[in-house]
Amino acid sequence: MMQQRLSEKSAQRKAGDTLLSVRNLCKHFPIREGILQSTVGHVRAVDGVSFDIRRGETVGLVGESGCGKTTLSQCVAGLTTPTSGEILFDTGRGGPLGQEDRIDAMPRDRYRTYRRNTQMVFQDNFASLNPRELVIDCIGRPLRVYNEASGSELTERVVELLEQVGLGRQHLYRYPHQFSGGQRQRISIARALALDPELIVLDEPTSALDVSVQAQILNLLWDLQKHRHLAYLFVTHDLSVVRHMADRTVTMYLGRVVEQGPTETIFGNAAHPYTKALLAAKPDLDDDPSVPIATLEGVVPDPARPPKGCRFHTRCPVATPDCGWEVDDIVRLLEADETLFQSLQGVARKTDLEAGLTFADETAAAALHAALGSDRVPLAMRTATETLDLNGKTVNIRFRETEEVSLTDRGEGHQAACVLGRGGQ
Amino acid sequence: MAMTDPILSESAAKVRLRRQGEVLRSLMTNPTTALGMIIIILLLGMAIFAPYLMPPNIPDPYQMPRDWGATRMPPGTPGHPLGTTNQGGDVLYGVVWGSRSSLQMSLIVVSVTVVIGVVIGSIAGIVGGWIDEALMRVVDIFLSIPELIFALAVAAILGPSFTNIILSLCIVFWVKYARIMRAQIILIRQSDYVQAARVMGDSRFNIFRRDILPNASTPIAVQATLDMGNIVLVGATLSFIGLSESGIAEWGVLVSEGQAGIASGRWWASTFPGLMIFLWALAFNLVGDGLRDALDPRTEGKR
Repeated sequence: MMQQRLSEKSAQRKAGDTLLSVRNLCKHFPIREGILQSTVGHVRAVDGVSFDIRRGETVGLVGESGCGKTTLSQCVAGLTTPTSGEILFDTGRGGPLGQEDRIDAMPRDRYRTYRRNTQMVFQDNFASLNPRELVIDCIGRPLRVYNEASGSELTERVVELLEQVGLGRQHLYRYPHQFSGGQRQRISIARALALDPELIVLDEPTSALDVSVQAQILNLLWDLQKHRHLAYLFVTHDLSVVRHMADRTVTMYLGRVVEQGPTETIFGNAAHPYTKALLAAKPDLDDDPSVPIATLEGVVPDPARPPKGCRFHTRCPVATPDCGWEVDDIVRLLEADETLFQSLQGVARKTDLEAGLTFADETAAAALHAALGSDRVPLAMRTATETLDLNGKTVNIRFRETEEVSLTDRGEGHQAACVLGRGGQ
Repeated sequence: MAMTDPILSESAAKVRLRRQGEVLRSLMTNPTTALGMIIIILLLGMAIFAPYLMPPNIPDPYQMPRDWGATRMPPGTPGHPLGTTNQGGDVLYGVVWGSRSSLQMSLIVVSVTVVIGVVIGSIAGIVGGWIDEALMRVVDIFLSIPELIFALAVAAILGPSFTNIILSLCIVFWVKYARIMRAQIILIRQSDYVQAARVMGDSRFNIFRRDILPNASTPIAVQATLDMGNIVLVGATLSFIGLSESGIAEWGVLVSEGQAGIASGRWWASTFPGLMIFLWALAFNLVGDGLRDALDPRTEGKR
């Protein structure tokens, strides 16, 4: 009976159709302070992200820790309500995706279709299984929720699922702690498969596992996808895994997508300096061990006040004057310099691009003035400076206006948000 | 593979039963816990079989018998192995029927307070917002007053009687359960397995019933076991200072009524009931500590 249902569904599934579409999605978390818990700012975990997932394909979502990839995956899985933007899901309504397919505005029955067709596998294989639930109850639970099976039929369905993930009947009546990490992740996968979903969000599914077990789980996911025409949103920081698994790769930095495209293009011909830096930082067996691995300098800026323009410009090795230099860049520079930051008295900000910085004494002001004109700051930043003058204890600075940096087409579905190589420049 | 033997004729009920057996076994492997368990079993046996061990010859078995012909007899007197009180009550009778009073008191108070605490803690944890704030401030106020003094004040207001002691203990002891339950709900709600249940579309009620309650029950059970001992200790103290009825077979009352004789060398009337209070509190505390380790499914079995 199960087989019949499966094939029915497979017939409906046409590879290549857009299954889920994320459009201009934002998720901001308020920062609350004080007794009254007033909002003093927002952490912009996801800040204007758009991408599509097609039926049967794997989209790899990569980026450093804290870039918003987990928040984004939680939004896609319906665990978090986005602040703005929309997530559209094809519930078989027919026609192109539109406002009626927003998961937060769907009628109840279609929301249920979305709900059961989008499942999730978590990173921590221990924490994602209820320690007091037997395997049969755990994997059978989604079937019970949708009244799909009960009694001996439920047992048989669970056995079938266990066998599909390489476990068996003998594991039905065990508790999660009686398994190894890899086996627990298999149980999680079986639970996600129980409702025969179209999309599985995999949030770092192999990061907590040994390398040999990782390979087994990846092969299992690969096989399941081929048999069941699943789409995966594969969230990871492991680029080798993405290269192995993903059809398309999306790179995120500080809540924004900086580059997306076919995995081969991204790995062979990355356009964004951040993607290039990630790829260079990936240790490879063929690397010459005497050459140190290229790493990114600096820290990820505070997502509560992300940089203007291209958010990567503060750490970018090939930044240009057009990357969105602003007053906050000087503040970040000062924060790294203890003595100068101590004597900073105030920042009179006219715009994001123009401000006067007042110091306690003239020496400090002169020191900053000198630093801003020297190679202590990137050449691109110096070039982007329109005016820089010293007036007693105050340093006045103005940066040139730049255009917003957005994703631009680089051909064959490849998009990058970088001023370099942008059309017409 | 964690285990390789195929258990083909298995059922969920059997496995759960076996796990309970494993919990019990791991309780008994710890020597101090095993000692506590043995004491508890003896005390419970004493309480349950009191009518057979010490058949009462008066209509109300919870009243100490009075034999004015045999007052102040020392231990070892024929018919009165633990001696008699000033009023000629048999100390052994008081010890045996006192265990019944203690069992009644601790069982009633623990079951009532666990229910109140779990309900209030759940409301606070699930509803949140200002209701949570208000409930937790009440809990804070309750927790800021020492248990004994609070219970004493309530019992004093209600007037001296054994029932009122039980009532006052119920009013005092629920707060810890409310706090534990709320903390557990907030903790478990963020866990990945609750997220997984939400992704599969399970209802809030099911998540509460299948994820939150079973996992929150461990610290509640441990606290309840510890309280089985503490309640008798506090209850006996209240009885001792005269907030119970005089002349009943209750350990605190017996200690109180016997203490006057200690100075004149009649130590037995308060020592034996006092020893029972000590054993009761000790045993439940030992088992409570052992239970904390045994109920954690991750340490259970240590495979």
